Amino acid sequence: MSKKKPVVALAAALLAVAPLSAHADAAKDVQIAGRALTFLENGPTGKAVLGVVFDPSKPASVAEKNAVMAAIGGGLNTGTLTLTAKPVEAGAVSGVGGVAALYVTTGVNAGPVGAAAKAKKIITIGSDASCAASGACVMSVSADPKVEIIVNRGAAAAVGAVFKSAFRMMIREV
Amino acid sequence: MKKTLLAGASAGLLVAAASAAHAQSIDYGSLEQLFNEPVTTSATGAPQRSTEAPVDMTIISAADIERSGAVDLPTILSRVAGLDVTTWGAGAADVSVRGYNQAMSPRLLVLINGRQVYLDHYGYTAWATLPVQLSEIRQIEVVKGPNSALFGFNAVSGVVNIITANPKFDQTGDITVRGGSARYGEVSLAKSFKLGERFSARFSAGAAKSDEFDNTVGVAKSQQNEPSRVSANLDTVTQLTDKAELRIEGSYSNVQVSDMLSNYAYSPSKYLTGSLKGTLTAETQVGQLQLSAYQNDLTAKHVILGQQARFENKITVVSAQDLFKIGAKHTIRLGGEYRHNEVNTAPIGGAEVSYDVLSASAMWNWAITDKLAFTAAGRYDSLDLSREGAFPAGSPPLGNGYWDRKIEEPSWNLGLVWRATDADTFKASAARGVQVPTLVDLGALQARVSVGPYTLGLAGNPTLEPAIVTNYQLTYERALPALKAQVSAKAFVQKTQDVKGQPTSAQIDVAPTPVSLPVLSYRNIGESKMTGFELAASGELAAGFRWNADWTHTEVDDEPLAGFSPVLRSAAFGATTPENRGNVALGWTGGPWTADAFVTLVGDHQAYALYAVGANPRLVDIDAYAAIGGRVARTFEGDVTVALSGQNLGDSRQRQSAGLEVERRLYLSVSKRF
Repeated sequence: MSKKKPVVALAAALLAVAPLSAHADAAKDVQIAGRALTFLENGPTGKAVLGVVFDPSKPASVAEKNAVMAAIGGGLNTGTLTLTAKPVEAGAVSGVGGVAALYVTTGVNAGPVGAAAKAKKIITIGSDASCAASGACVMSVSADPKVEIIVNRGAAAAVGAVFKSAFRMMIREV
Repeated sequence: MKKTLLAGASAGLLVAAASAAHAQSIDYGSLEQLFNEPVTTSATGAPQRSTEAPVDMTIISAADIERSGAVDLPTILSRVAGLDVTTWGAGAADVSVRGYNQAMSPRLLVLINGRQVYLDHYGYTAWATLPVQLSEIRQIEVVKGPNSALFGFNAVSGVVNIITANPKFDQTGDITVRGGSARYGEVSLAKSFKLGERFSARFSAGAAKSDEFDNTVGVAKSQQNEPSRVSANLDTVTQLTDKAELRIEGSYSNVQVSDMLSNYAYSPSKYLTGSLKGTLTAETQVGQLQLSAYQNDLTAKHVILGQQARFENKITVVSAQDLFKIGAKHTIRLGGEYRHNEVNTAPIGGAEVSYDVLSASAMWNWAITDKLAFTAAGRYDSLDLSREGAFPAGSPPLGNGYWDRKIEEPSWNLGLVWRATDADTFKASAARGVQVPTLVDLGALQARVSVGPYTLGLAGNPTLEPAIVTNYQLTYERALPALKAQVSAKAFVQKTQDVKGQPTSAQIDVAPTPVSLPVLSYRNIGESKMTGFELAASGELAAGFRWNADWTHTEVDDEPLAGFSPVLRSAAFGATTPENRGNVALGWTGGPWTADAFVTLVGDHQAYALYAVGANPRLVDIDAYAAIGGRVARTFEGDVTVALSGQNLGDSRQRQSAGLEVERRLYLSVSKRF
C-alpha cells in the first residue's frame, strides 16, 4: 500500500503535466475558434461568452479548460468579437445559457454534448478533429503546425449556423 | 449607437444591433489573421490560402513593400525569385517571369484589383502610369506561369495582381514625403474614411519627379523626357443590402518618361490614363455573384522612328462570375466576359483598329481528401477583329475586309496539390496560355521609314497568330520548423509557339508592287522553349533577423522557322535571357528600428543594342551584375517613420542593358500614419 501510493501519485502528476504540454497551444486554438465565429452570417459581434465544456473526471480535459480560460482571461480580442469564457461541465450543457458558442475540450464525450447543444441551437467548436468528423461538433480547430479548420455541414445546418462563402471555400467541409 | 445584448437571449447566434452583416467581399486581413498566412483569389478566382493555391504564387506583403525601401514597383518585383527586370531609365522598366524579357514586354499581365493596367495598344506595362501608391497596397500577388484560364489573354508568362487596401475592411492613413539623389522628389497620400454605416472609401494621390539617368550611351536628348508622374485614385464601397455591395473605383494618371520602345529606341513618351470600374457582388441562393464593368482610357504620345505618334486607346470590359460550392468538396466558378478594345492608327492616322472578345470560363476545385486537391480551369476566347478608315498612300491594296478575322483559342490550367505530411507539399501543374497580338501588331502601327534612298512602309499584320505558351511545373516545398525556415525546389518546362517577331528593315515582309511600297511587319517566326529550375529558402534567425535566398536557372532555345532570324526580329530570347539570376536578402528589426539589405544577381547575357537608322538589330554583351539595395528606418512617437534607402548602391553607374546606365540612387523618406 505504501509503495503504491507514490506511484499512483506520480502517475497522476504525470497525467496532469503531460496533457498540459499537449494543449500548450490551447491559446492558439481558441484564437482560431474566436476568429472563425466572426465568419458566421448573422454571427456574434462585440462581446460574446464562450462556454468551455470539460469533463471533470478527465484530467486532460480539465487541464485544457484551464489553459483556455487563462488564454481568454478578461477578454480575448478576435477581430470584431471579444470573447469572455465560462466553464461548463459536460453534463450541464443541456442547461447552459448566455453563451454564443461552446468550446469542447478534447476528452469530453462529444456525442451527448453535441446533441444537447444542437437541441439548444448552440454552435460547438472542438479542439479534436474527430468531433467535427463525427458530427458531434459543428467545427473543429487546430493551430499547430498549420491552421486547420473542419466544419461538419450537417451539424452546422442543425444549429442554423451559416458561414460566409469565402470562409467555406478555404476550410475543410465534411 | 447602443448595442443591446440581452443576457438571457442566447439562442446560439446573436446579432449586435449596431453592425450590419457583411456581404462577401473577401476580407484579406481577417482571413489572413485566421489562417496565419496570406490569402488570394488570383490563382483560381476562388479565395484560397496561399500555400494551397495550385499555381506558383508569391505574395509580397505590405510590410515587405515598406521594408524594401523601393520607390517603384519594378524594383520591388526585381527581388522576387525568377523575375527578370530590365531598367531602361529612372521611370521605365520591363518585367518578365523566367526569361523572355524585352522592351515593351507583352507576356506579363498586370492588374490592380483585377482591373487590367497593362496597356493594350502596344501590349506592355508602363509601370509609372499605375495609379497606385505603395502605401495603399495590401499585397502584390505574383503568379509565375500562364493563368489565361482565369485572366484571359496575355497572362502567359505570369500575372501581377496588385491588391489595394479595401475601404470597407482596412483603415488606411499615410502621408509620405521623399527626397533623393538626382533631384528626386515625391509626395504621396492615402486615406480611408467612412460616411455613415454603409459607405466607405479610400482616396489616394501622389506625384513624383526626378532627373533621368545621365546619358552616357549617346541617346539623343530629343528621345528623352525627365520622368515625372501624377496620379490619383478613389475607391469606394457601398453596402447596398446585407448581402450585396457595390465597389466603384476611379483613377487618373498623367506621366512622362523616357520609354524604351520595342525596336530598342528611346521615346520621350507622355501618358494620360483614366479608368472607372464598378463591381456588384451579391451572396445569393445560387452562390456568390459578381458583375463587373470597367473602362480604361489611354492617350499615349510616343516618338516612333522620329515621328510623333498619338494613340487614343479605349478598353471596355464587362464580366460576370458565379462562385459556389457543391457539397463539401467541390468549388465551382463560372464566368463570362465581353471586351472591346479600340485604338486609332499612328503615326499615320486616318483609321481605327478594334476587336471584340467574348469569353466563357469555368473552374472546378475538388478537395479529394484532406491532403489532396485538384483544380481544373478552362476558358474559351473568341476575338473578332475589324478595321475602319482610310489607308495611307502607297499601302498594299488590301481593303478593310482583310481585317475581318477571328481568333479563337482555348486556355486551361490544371493543378494538383498534395500535402504529403505536415511539412512536405508537392504540386504539379500544367497550363496553356494565349498571348494575343496587340492592336499595334494587328494594324494600328502605320508609318513610313526611310532607309537610305528607299521609303519603306511599316504596318501591322492582321493575320498574325497568337503566341501559345504551354507550361509544366513540379514543385516541392518543405517547412523546417526547427530552423524556423522553409525551402522549395521547382522544375519547369515551357514552350512558346508562334513567337512574335518585330518588323525589321533587314527583311521585307510584303514585296513592293507597282502601286505599293515594300512593307515591314510583324511575323510569327517559330518556337522557343525554356527549361529551368528554382531553388529558394527563407527563414528567421534569433534576435529579430530574417533572411531569404533564391536561385533560378533557365535555358532558352529559340527554334525559328526557316527564313527567319530571331536576332533580326528582336526575338532572340535564347541570347537575351540570362541563364542565372538570384536574390539574397537579410533583414533585422529591433524596437523602433528596421534594417534590410537586398542583393539581386543577374548572370551574363546579351542585349539589343540601341536602334540606329539603317542598321540591323544586333546583340551586345552584358556582363553579370549585382544590384544592391537597402533600407534603414526608425519609427518615432506619433507613428512617424524616417527611412534612408537606396538602390544600385554598388556602383555609381551600372550597365544592366544597352540603354542608359542605371545610377545609384539614395532616398530619404518621412512617413506619418494617421
